[in-house]
Amino acid sequence: MYKNYIKIALRNLLKNRVFSAANIIGLTLAFGVSILLVMTAMFELSYDQFHQKKDSIYQIYLSNQTTKGTRISTVNPIPLAPSLRDEVGGIKHITRSLSQGDLITYEGKDFDLDSEYVDPDFFEIFSYPSIAGNIENPLPDKNSVALTESTAEKLFGSADPIGKTIMLNRGDEEKPFAVSSVLKDVPTNSSVDFEILVPFENHPEYAPNIDTWESYNHLVYLELEEGVNVAQFEENTRNFTNLHYKNSIDDAIRDGAQADENGQFKQFYLLPYTNVAFVSYADGVAKVSRSFPYMILGIALLIIFIASANFINMNIALSERRLKEVGMRKTLGAFKRQLFVQFWSESLLVFLISLVLGLVMANLLLNPFKTLFDTQATFANIVQPKILLGFSISLLIITFIAGGYPALLVSKLTTLRALKGKWELGKNRLRNALIIVQFVIAIVLISGTLVLHSQIQFMRNKDLGYNKEQVISIPLNGKKNGYRVVDLLREELAGNPNILGVSGADINLGRGRDGSVSTSKWGFDYKERFVGTNILTVDHGYLETLDIDLLSGRAFSKEHNETASLIINEAMAKELGEDNPLSVQIHDDNSTYSVVGVIQDYHFQRLNKEIEPLTLLMNEEWDLYYAYVKIAPSAIAESYDTVKAAWQKIEPQAEFLGSFLDENVDRTFNREKKMATMVTSASVLGIILSCIGLFAMAMLVVSQRTKEIGIRKVIGASVSSVAALLTKDFLKLVGLAFLIAAPIAWYIMDGWLQSYAFRVKLGPLIFVMAGLLAAVIAFIAVGSRTVKAASANPIKSLRTE
Amino acid sequence: MLLQLKNIFKWVNSGGQRIFLLKDINLNVHEGEFISVMGPSGSGKSTLLNVIGMLDAFDEGEYQFLDESVHDLREKNRANLYKEYIGFVFQSYHLLDDLTVKENLEMPLLYKKVKGPERKAMVADMLDRFNIVGKKDLFPAQLSGGQQQLVGIARALISSPKLILADEPTGNLNSKQGEEIMELFKQLNQEGVTIIQVTHSEKNAAYGSRTINLLDGRMV
Repeated sequence: MYKNYIKIALRNLLKNRVFSAANIIGLTLAFGVSILLVMTAMFELSYDQFHQKKDSIYQIYLSNQTTKGTRISTVNPIPLAPSLRDEVGGIKHITRSLSQGDLITYEGKDFDLDSEYVDPDFFEIFSYPSIAGNIENPLPDKNSVALTESTAEKLFGSADPIGKTIMLNRGDEEKPFAVSSVLKDVPTNSSVDFEILVPFENHPEYAPNIDTWESYNHLVYLELEEGVNVAQFEENTRNFTNLHYKNSIDDAIRDGAQADENGQFKQFYLLPYTNVAFVSYADGVAKVSRSFPYMILGIALLIIFIASANFINMNIALSERRLKEVGMRKTLGAFKRQLFVQFWSESLLVFLISLVLGLVMANLLLNPFKTLFDTQATFANIVQPKILLGFSISLLIITFIAGGYPALLVSKLTTLRALKGKWELGKNRLRNALIIVQFVIAIVLISGTLVLHSQIQFMRNKDLGYNKEQVISIPLNGKKNGYRVVDLLREELAGNPNILGVSGADINLGRGRDGSVSTSKWGFDYKERFVGTNILTVDHGYLETLDIDLLSGRAFSKEHNETASLIINEAMAKELGEDNPLSVQIHDDNSTYSVVGVIQDYHFQRLNKEIEPLTLLMNEEWDLYYAYVKIAPSAIAESYDTVKAAWQKIEPQAEFLGSFLDENVDRTFNREKKMATMVTSASVLGIILSCIGLFAMAMLVVSQRTKEIGIRKVIGASVSSVAALLTKDFLKLVGLAFLIAAPIAWYIMDGWLQSYAFRVKLGPLIFVMAGLLAAVIAFIAVGSRTVKAASANPIKSLRTE
Repeated sequence: MLLQLKNIFKWVNSGGQRIFLLKDINLNVHEGEFISVMGPSGSGKSTLLNVIGMLDAFDEGEYQFLDESVHDLREKNRANLYKEYIGFVFQSYHLLDDLTVKENLEMPLLYKKVKGPERKAMVADMLDRFNIVGKKDLFPAQLSGGQQQLVGIARALISSPKLILADEPTGNLNSKQGEEIMELFKQLNQEGVTIIQVTHSEKNAAYGSRTINLLDGRMV
């Protein structure tokens, strides 16, 4: 029996070659791409899931009431962790954690490593197992470090790393450390990523701030004791907070901040560690959103839906041709159930073939996919019993509907009607509904593509208030002091007509090739009021090098001692609220600063943020981390090489990571670009699949209406009127789909754009364009078929009596 | 003269051999004639009718229709010619199933872009003439075979053709219905419409003024 089923199924596939091919190609594409997408989504969702204690680990964050509403900070003062453990009960383990880049020297060779400064409890809380050296206590003393496996290999090759001494660069001096253990490499789906672990006490900020509650620089993770309730713990921290943060709470009260519903001005909260990769702290609340992976999953589902809808449609239409076979089988004594199983097994066969081909395709596309979407996802992410089971079940359900629905219709027919080959399918309502939904999806995806691209284009072309085309920023990753390097660059490049300026700062613009993005903040009291600002330490010539406009006052100059001078941006001037900002004197601790210049607002942060207050200052005690070189617009490539050569002369040991600022800015919206690529591919695939379906349906409709076409032509219809008649029905569906899709697309894209302070205007044009695009493509798919049918000689179709 | 066929040949190539569907057909048809084409199955009757109706091409020979050389015309002009002057009646009626009687009659006029009021008048006139006013809102499936053929003829006549081509118009009808249809043809012929019909029945052929016999594509 089953052999017979399979035989008939295969023969049927061969008989309807075009449709089988359309189905298998469509489903293969859908499966292939969906496997990759699901893989990516699962990878994203698997972040930090590998920690054995993941359900009892938390990151602590502080909610602050300010005059501007609730603000959340995740960075903490040095004494917090130990005090918290001693003064508030319920903590089993707690660790501080600070990541930064460090320069390590071993046998004269320099290595830039991602380091993490941690307390010993780090190993109790997280699952980063040690595989060599000290297994139980990987960091036994203050002068020991732990390396990951691949880092150890990078440093020592095949030699045994345990006990080796490496030098950690600390400004101008070097400090020796002994390698005490080797850890397994950090999984790619870990939020905390490091190459070397260093005891927290060794961080340069540690000693000066050991008792300071006003300087924040690291994250704190903790594991609660069993049975301790999170809400209870958070409540227990209130007295602790009120005690240790008294000064800044007093300031908040004085400035008129409103307490929260518990009367607190500062409140610690615990964020479950598995949420860390998905949290954002906008608007003063910790918002955990896994929308990106779920969006990817959603897209995968939509694509499978489109392909399955094609399959269902073609199957129903095709089974009409097999009514005679069904009637015959019934007269031969087939039961309904047997017919049903037969039709279903045919669907299953098509799906299984497509699935295998899809897997092959996914495998072939894996590497380009990983590069394109910058993901570390692997097949291992989906080869989990839970997912495989879910997938098998959904496969059965889809084939059950796709194959089963027509099978059910056919098997329910009475024998006689089936033999006559007549079948009224209720005006193709299901078919039309499916086609409409397909095109709704396609149009929404196309609109998404257009909006994403125009937003990216907008951000790329936006005047950021500084010269991003002519300026190279170079991360100062060498051993020398930043000021020294900038001076040496000046000397080296002096006299070159293509070099227009050299300066430096402690923070980069955009995201450089070193991958780091940071901000520094400074708060002080001004006229009995707390004022917060971003601060940037700069070198001479910063404004000139970056073409930032000075509105009033003066730039920093070598003629003055500038250690007490500030240059502020417009936003900061507004924040200070003075008519003449140049008269402002700021008193902080023991120093007095005076504002000497006001500059135009420029986008020193990502474009999804409004321009915040910014203060520029010069203080040689704070090092520079980036050099900026402005070059002439002619001979750009040459000048870049000149700068590179100069760098290599100055810092022969360190890699040159210089890049133009427009590249840096581009890099800040990598995420958007990734999303745009994904949505674009999905919409291209979606429209292709929808059109495969439409093409096949057009073919079937044409074959069903051959006689009518013939009659119409004989009584005087022209080719174009017949083609229009046939095409119109399909275009109507696309039109209806557009009416449904446009508001949906608008709602989604408007919501997405809300997260950008600077965004494109969402006009109707984009949606009309998406709809037109879909209509034109659909027209081509259907028109090619219908025109052919309309031009055929009518006697051919009328003869088939 | 309405039309003239001179040495018409039509063939298909099958397995290297040339099989003749029409062989050296010479035929003159004058306005007002009623011609019956007879012959066994496969003798080329329908092919001849299709060639005359310009639905099918021929391979050799000349065809004059109202002073136009059909063999020299381009596809499009040929189509315009038959749409203008020729009406078709089929054995299986070939009505559009989704349209009512009235709409079926209206269709050719729509394709000829006849204006609304004029079109309505013509349809009403035709319904009246064939005594099917009461059936105008019915669909073909709700009519008997004879009635369907009546609609088919009415549709062929509505654009006032000079020539009606009927391919076994009574083939699907019982004898009484068949007789009625043939009487109708006779009456139309007397009103001046030229008719060429294909038929198997001697009795139906007798309605015509002239009979052509075909055998293996040849006139005998």
